[in-house]
Amino acid sequence: MPGTASKPDSSYFWDKLHSLSGIIPIGAFLAEHFWSNSYVLVSPERYNSTAAGLEQIPWRIPVEFLFIWLPIVFHGCYGLDIWWRGKANVLGHPWMSNWMYVLQRWTGIVLFAYIIWHVWIERFATHGRSTFAGVAHDFANPYYTAFYVIGVLAASFHLGNGLFNFCCKWGIAVTPRAQRAAGFFGAFVGVIFSVAGLLIVAGFVYNWHPFSGYL
Amino acid sequence: MMADKTFILRIKRQAAPQERVVWEEFEIRYRPHLNIITCLRDIAEKPITRAGDGTTPISYDANCLEEICGACAMLINGYPRQACSALVDNLEKPIRLEPLTKFPLIRDLQVDRSIMFENLKRMKCWVPIDGTYAIGPGPRMSPEQQQIGYPMARCITCGNCLEICPKVNDHTQFVGAAIINQVRLFNMHPTGNMHARERLEAMMGPGGIQDCDNAMNCVKVCPKSIPLTESNNEINRQVLKHAVWDWLNFSEGPTERDEEWKRLGIQK
Ligand code: HEM
Ligand code: SF4
Ligand code: SF4
Ligand code: FES
Repeated sequence: MPGTASKPDSSYFWDKLHSLSGIIPIGAFLAEHFWSNSYVLVSPERYNSTAAGLEQIPWRIPVEFLFIWLPIVFHGCYGLDIWWRGKANVLGHPWMSNWMYVLQRWTGIVLFAYIIWHVWIERFATHGRSTFAGVAHDFANPYYTAFYVIGVLAASFHLGNGLFNFCCKWGIAVTPRAQRAAGFFGAFVGVIFSVAGLLIVAGFVYNWHPFSGYL
Repeated sequence: MMADKTFILRIKRQAAPQERVVWEEFEIRYRPHLNIITCLRDIAEKPITRAGDGTTPISYDANCLEEICGACAMLINGYPRQACSALVDNLEKPIRLEPLTKFPLIRDLQVDRSIMFENLKRMKCWVPIDGTYAIGPGPRMSPEQQQIGYPMARCITCGNCLEICPKVNDHTQFVGAAIINQVRLFNMHPTGNMHARERLEAMMGPGGIQDCDNAMNCVKVCPKSIPLTESNNEINRQVLKHAVWDWLNFSEGPTERDEEWKRLGIQK
């Protein structure tokens, strides 16, 4: 039931911070993450040297903490709270935008589980040292590969649809035509990330390096 | 003589909020161009269920019968809409009637939608014109502004957009698209705009614009075809600009002008 509370609160600030954190730094990190991992499509050696380069950045732990872990923990936990405060009604009213609303929440929940698992096996279980051989070993397990594919698709959808939401919720796309344009932009980003992510998975699974001709 | 053509109406009934829910079925004589209100009047004339049991007339709100007062909003086949403009010819049978779920129930199909009026007041959706002396005519509104404003002004406060919104529920205090749309309307009115800052301030408060998560359901059920998502996003833009500006200026809480109002004992 809609309420009439009039005491000011800080939810505007936190909601906007949640919205922004999805793009900067989390979305930006996802772009960097897919880019760096794309080196597997060049060669295992390039993948290893890129990973080593990232492992040797100065201030590694504080940088990871401030720009990756803290924002994701905040965005993820606050996102679960937003999910809980909504009351989806898509089954009775299966409009496309209503599905998008629900899928944004479901992919968020999938990502919550996926990110915990992913960080555990690739960051902590490896003691922060990633190699082609190590990751390819994980991909030998078909269940791992399946979860990777789900994670890639969920993250890509969540980012693409999130960009569309962001444009609406920050008043960038106001008129219906601008909303449609923002929707196409979000879909475009989602498709690009899906394709790039799946190619990376293929690179590890099939030991496939289509860009090795550059060497 | 050939029997009249009939159809079935299933109605969710509750004598009072704490009473038991009962579904009753009525057999209504078909006539062309019937609307749901006429069916409810038929039942009031002869309150007998399909099984032949006597019952009470159905409680419901209606006034204008031409989709202009907003009173008769209810769930018709699960879809929030105005009963007076819902034609039996266009509805799947049997027709299912339920009260709106996001407002306190009074009885049967009647709900208390006064919360919307409270929220219109809370979000300052009016143009204050009365003072202690005549302040003269206000600025004129250009025909272009009138054209943009008119569709927004058609809102009949029916509550359909709140009913369908996933973010209007017990866990939030979200005011809903109807109220956001009125904030936009009054902010673009040349006289109303003089108080735009206060409306934007209220829109940042509990249940304000931040609760809209862009499910875009509201715009699909508005009987007056108001561009509600456009209003949501426009207010998002105005509030954001206002918030960032205030933040950069370390200005929070009452301005000097508000202090002056308070000193003079004027209630805004
Ligand atoms: C850790 C698990 C995550 C959960 C539980 C989660 C949950 C959510 C939810 C519920 C929303 C909708 C918020 C709203 O409509 O107000 C959202 C928005 C968003 N998320 Fe996530 N998310 C997670 C991870 C991510 C990741 C990894 C990214 C980066 C790709 C991301 C990017 C975004 C973006 C860009 C938005 C749109 C912001 C907006 O609505 O304005 N999220 N998230
Ligand atoms: S766009 Fe906003 S107001 Fe409209 S249904 Fe969605 S959440 Fe509710
Ligand atoms: S905006 Fe439309 S759906 Fe919402 S209360 Fe007004 S007329 Fe009804
Ligand atoms: S009776 Fe006025 S809108 Fe239906």
